[in-house]
This record gives sequence, structure tokens and C-alpha cells, in this order.
Amino acid sequence: MSTHLLINPSHRSIDKALMGRIDSMLDGMSDEGMHQYLADTVYLERQRFHTDGVVEGEDVQFVERLAHALHEDSESLPSVAGELVRAYSHEIHNRFSERTFGAAMKLAPAALKRLLAPSDRGAWRWPELDPGEYIQVQGPLEQLRRLSETHTLIVAPTHLSNLDSPLVGYALHMAGLPPCTYGAGLNLFTNPAMSFFMSRLGAYTVDRRKRHRLYKDVLKAYSTELIYRGAHSLFYPGGTRSRTGCIESHLKRGLLGTGIAAWQEGLRSGEEHRDVIVVPCTLSCSLVLEAETLISDALAAEGKSRYIITDDEFSHPTTVLKFVRQLMDLDVSVVVRFGAPLDLIGNPVDEQGRSIDGNGRSFDRRKYVCDRSGSVITDVQRDRVYTNQLASALCRSYQRDNVALPTHVAAYAGWMCLAERYPKLDVYQRVLLAPFERWVDRNRLLAAVEHLLIQLDATVAAGEIQSVLPSGTDRAEQVLTDAVSTFSRFHSNRALAFEDWRVLVDPKLALYYGNRLAGAQLDIGSAP
Amino acid sequence: MNIGIIGNGAWGRALAMLAAKAGHQPRIGFRGTRPTGFPGTPNLAALSTESDLLLIAVHAHAVREVVDAIDLDAGARVVLATRGLAPETGEWLSDLVAGNSPCRRVGVLTGPAVASEVVAGRPTALVVASLFDEVCKATQEAFHSEQCRVYTSQDLRGVELAGAMVRVLGVALGIADGVDFGVGARGVIVTRGLAEATRLGEALGAHPQTFFGLAGVGDLVSCASSPSHPSQEAGRAVARGGTATGFVLDETRSVLAIAGRNGVDMPLTEAVLSIASGDVRPKLAFDELMRRSARSED
Repeated sequence: MSTHLLINPSHRSIDKALMGRIDSMLDGMSDEGMHQYLADTVYLERQRFHTDGVVEGEDVQFVERLAHALHEDSESLPSVAGELVRAYSHEIHNRFSERTFGAAMKLAPAALKRLLAPSDRGAWRWPELDPGEYIQVQGPLEQLRRLSETHTLIVAPTHLSNLDSPLVGYALHMAGLPPCTYGAGLNLFTNPAMSFFMSRLGAYTVDRRKRHRLYKDVLKAYSTELIYRGAHSLFYPGGTRSRTGCIESHLKRGLLGTGIAAWQEGLRSGEEHRDVIVVPCTLSCSLVLEAETLISDALAAEGKSRYIITDDEFSHPTTVLKFVRQLMDLDVSVVVRFGAPLDLIGNPVDEQGRSIDGNGRSFDRRKYVCDRSGSVITDVQRDRVYTNQLASALCRSYQRDNVALPTHVAAYAGWMCLAERYPKLDVYQRVLLAPFERWVDRNRLLAAVEHLLIQLDATVAAGEIQSVLPSGTDRAEQVLTDAVSTFSRFHSNRALAFEDWRVLVDPKLALYYGNRLAGAQLDIGSAP
Repeated sequence: MNIGIIGNGAWGRALAMLAAKAGHQPRIGFRGTRPTGFPGTPNLAALSTESDLLLIAVHAHAVREVVDAIDLDAGARVVLATRGLAPETGEWLSDLVAGNSPCRRVGVLTGPAVASEVVAGRPTALVVASLFDEVCKATQEAFHSEQCRVYTSQDLRGVELAGAMVRVLGVALGIADGVDFGVGARGVIVTRGLAEATRLGEALGAHPQTFFGLAGVGDLVSCASSPSHPSQEAGRAVARGGTATGFVLDETRSVLAIAGRNGVDMPLTEAVLSIASGDVRPKLAFDELMRRSARSED
């Protein structure tokens, strides 16, 4: 398989391109606007240094030089701003290695096997390790494979865990799709070995602590440049891991909007350029490594939740290994479902990548951005609306391609039964129930699961959601038993656990896993 | 700018006059009678292709047919100069256009303007709403003149809902007239009706202020002040025991379906539907409204 990550630009080439893009953006600003823009950069960076206790280093030097240029030496401002852009460009850009990628894909199963094998040999036998057994990859794969030969893909997955990037990377490989460049948090590059592989597997560096516009604009310029050059890219449009466990319903438009910018640049260049296609991707997992931390964060008092979490389960390698090991003992632990591909405005595309309207007719999408003579018309506001429409189409796709698994169904039923027992408590009060209050009647829970399964069958048949659930008789019992068994494998608390005639419910985890079905408008029926 | 107006009714011709006042030479797309005073064409598809801005000024129930006939492309800029929701599906008309064509740059033009007054040269104002600034600007350029002020808004959903609610409340006003409730009741219908519209609008993400602008209060005052307004006439006919016209039932049902999906209580609109459906007599329905528990006006 050809990787089709066609570009592997040098730092110099990327520096030049990014500086050109940022220069032209700054040229479009008034003197006052540019001064404010750069002053905000200094202010927000100094604020970050103060908060993080940073007193020296390259970042500090650059920002202080920029402050000096702003206040004392305006003539040097362009060159100092340029230095900062170059520094960010160097920090962000990593070089993909086709060799490393190929080797990693070949060696990953064996390496995992070695990595996950127990230390006391013989006490535990690792089954035949084939990730295909635990990871299901679904969707219009043949169409996507063909499109990847002729188009630049932007893969847009939902986001649950820091393990998602390797998971999607592996799913792309299993599906015969090319690898993608993707942004990975700077914290993931701190380990030199990890950094070596991540950068060569297509990851570029994103420092989410830098919250000023200049950095974000450099990042967007970088993404635009890569797509313009034909690199398949991967963004998490939700911006961060879902804290609540819900499917993303509000997406961030920043990086998503770089697709339309790159497409227009391609059209404007007059040269033969690959068109850009967006591929929704929904990840559904029986267990999520960081579930306990994420839901606790979501339930933190208003204003206390964190956009960047660095001290979660992912930061403990042994926890990650334990988690992966447990996950691979399940029948189906993860479903990666690629959705029907879309154009950059959110219309579906056909086998050849042509946009399709609501009546199934193909049309020329260039007219969205070109006038009658075929010239590209620049209109930032228009493009923002187009990107919003793409975001809405992605959210609809995520709902349709969400895969209900036994842990989701049982947790949803558990949470709803708890709500039924304590109808006067709100969500926050319910998660703070005392341990002796956290239980539901097992028969009631079974009836609730049964009721949910009937509704799910109808919604699956209507194409509004997907499922991988047991079939045959006693489905509710199977789903519940399966979920309880799965929940017993990893978390310090169990979302659900059997105890005689009742089922103990951990409200936080039940809420987190059950939230995966929150958008499906399901109910558990009335208590008998 | 090439302006095409589909619809040779009173409103289509009034819009053509306003465009001419603003210095343009609009063309009218028609079926049936050829327009007088303006160039016209029966070839709607060609008109659509050749226009920089295309106005659709037909009744809501004919919009789908027009969209199918003109084969809009992705470059089209379309403004709906008609109020209400799609009768059969209850869709927003802007969604109907976007859902049945590649066209995304859609807007809605509405307000208190009355066709006969426009033709008589009387001053008026309109509001154009679109998510796209370029659609708003083009429409403003097309119709803004000494006779007509055109305001812009990005609150597409709010302006569309206001247009639909004005029709529903117009029917309520007609019913109240028909059973001789007096002018006080008209004031109640206008204010509580607007409160309902605003509640639903907010649930849909619309701006509350939209309902107090030209598309809301402006249009409602115009409707309430005109006894011959079609909505009021429909309401009076229902009050007299006549059959409700299709748009009354379709519109109120569609609004209530949207309200139901968003958990918004709309007692006045429900009363209009139950009266129009013949389920309840007007007096009983209004009695029911008056017996609702006392509450704050907020």
C-alpha cells in the first residue's frame, strides 16, 4: 500500500510557507490592529509564564523581544514577529517517515504482544494477538480507498481518549487507507522515544497552553499548507476528549476551516490540485482509559473544569498497559466506523468524489467559492458559514455512526433507573449519592435494558444509530452480564456490579458510559 | 446586478417596483399571465442561472415546485420573499431550498410592507435575514431606496419563525374579531402571541430582539391593522363556522410540531389549531386560555 502521505517537506520549506502566510495576514491588518494582535500575544504568553512559573527559556526570550519591539523599537517588529513565527513553525513541524510508518504497522502487533505479556511467564497465556479481533473497522472502506488515491482526505474522528490517535492510525492501516498527519499535544512528545515515533508516524506538535491568536494562526497556516500540498490530515473537531462521554455536538471550527482555505488556494493556483474530502469517523469503545478522570472533570464545579488534563490515567504507563491488556480480552472492544465522505460544505460525495445534493444529483461544488468566470472570490464570512455547515453535517454523521455497545446500553439503563429511584435529585446530587444508596433492583434494570434494546432495534433499522449487541433470546440478560463483566476489568470503581437481587451502580461511570446514547432519545419505560 | 423575481403576483410586482426604484432592472419569472411594466420570462431556469440575486415571491405551498423547476446551482443566491413553513413537511423554507438543491446562500425577506401600498409609492421597510453577509448586502443593494429601507439580520431562523407566527396570530386576531371579543383581546393576542414566538425562537437559538423588529412586531402591526389581511380573513371565516383554509391548519400544526420537539408551551397557537380544526368552538377555546393558572408576565 502506498501511504499517499505525499509530502514530507523540509523545515526550511515549511518556515518559508508559514512566514509568507502570516506576513500576508498581518499585511491585511491596520497598524493599530496588528499592534493589538501582537500585544495580546505578549500579554497571554506572560500570563502563561506567570501561571506555570516559567522564568527562562526560548519562549520567554522570544516574547520579551517581541515586547521590546512593540514598545521601544517598532522598526524591528516585523523581523521579531517573523522570528517567533519561525520558532513556532519549528516546534510544530515534524517529519513523517514512510519507513518508520511501514515498520511500525508491521511490528505493532508483535510489539504489543511482547509489551503486554505478563512478567511471570506461564501464569497467564496471552491469546493469539490479532488486533483485528478486538478492533472492528466499519464504513464505506472501498469508496474511501478509491477516493484517497485521487483526493486529499481530512479524517475527522470523535475523541474519547489519548489512545485514539494510535487507534485511528491502526484502523486506517487495517482499512487499507493512507496514514494522516495529525496534531498531538506537546505533552505526548516529552518522552524522547515516543517523540521519535510520533513525529515519524505523522504527528505534528500542538502546544495547547499557547492560547494566543498568533500561535493558533501559525497552526492553522501549517494545517492549510499541508492540505494544500496534498497531505491527508486528521483533526479532532471536538477539540479535546469528550469529558461527559457524549458524542460531540459542538465542534471547533479552527482547524476544520483550514480545509476550505486550502481547497480555494488550490483552485486559485490554477494548477492541477487534489480536491479535499472530509471523512467523519466515530469511535465507540466498551471501556475508556480515562473515563473516571474525564467525567469527574465534567462534573467539577463550574469554571473548575480543565481544557488540558495532564495527570490522568494516560500519564501512568502501567495503567495504560493494564487497560490495553484488559481491552484485548473482550470480544469486541472498539468499533471504528468511518462515515459517508463529505465535501467541505457538508454535502455527501459519490464514488468519484463529486458532491451530491438532496435530490441525489451531482453538481459542480467550485461554484460555492467561484464567480461565473471561475475566479475564486475571497469571503472569510462565507467560508465561516460553510465550515459551520460542515460541522453540522459531521455532528449528524457522528450520531448516525455511533455504535451502541453492551456497556453503553447497560450503563444508560443503570443511570436512568437510578434517576427513577431518586427523581427529585439533579445530576450533581445523584452522583453524590452515598455508597449504600447506589443500587437498583436487578429485575427493574433488566426490564429497562430490554426496553432500550427494542427501541435501539427501531433506531438502528431507521439508520439513526448502529449497534454491536448480542442477538437471540435473553438479549437483555446477555447485555447486562457482558457489561458487568467488562466493567469489572479495569476501573477502580465499577460502573455496574451484581450483588444478589440488586445491581450496584457507580453514578459517575454509569453517567459517562450511558451518555454515549444520550443523543438517541431513548427511554427505559415505566417501572412495573 | 441582475435581479430575478419569480412570481408575478402582487408581491412579486411590488418587489420589482422597489428594485426599479433602487436603480435596477429586474426581470420577473412567471407562469400564466405575462407581467406588464417589467421584462418577464416564462423560462424560470434561465432566469435563475442569469440572476445575481434570485427572489422567490410565490406562496409557501409553491416554493418546492419552483425549486424543482429552476435547478439551482451551488453559486446561486436565493432570497425567499414569502412567509411561512413548507405546508406538507413543516420544513423551514430556507431548509427546503438547501435540502433540495446545492444552493446554500439562502435568505428571507420580510417585514410590514404591503404590496398595494408599495405600488402606491408609500414608504416602507423590510428586513433581509441570511447567514451569509453577501446575501444580505446584495438584497439591501437591490431594494434599498428612498421609498424602502432594507435592514439586514443574521438571524435567519428568528425571521422565518416571526413570519410564520405572524400568520398564525393573524388568524387568532381574525377569530377574536369574528366572535367580537373587542380591541382589548386583540392587544392580548398580539402581546402573548409575541411572547410565545419569542419563547420558541429562543429555544431554536434565535435572537429575542428579532421578534420586536420588522419581522415580528412590525409585520404583526401591519397585519393587525389591515382587516383584509388574508390571515385575519381566514380567522373570521373560521369563527363564523366556516372551514379553515389549508395554510391555517398546516402552519399552526407545523409551528406546534417544532414547539413540541423543543419542549415549548404555546397555548395560544394550540387554541388556534383546535378552533381551526373544528374541535372546539372559539369561545370555549378562549375560556380555556383564560382559566390557565395565574403567572408572571416574564
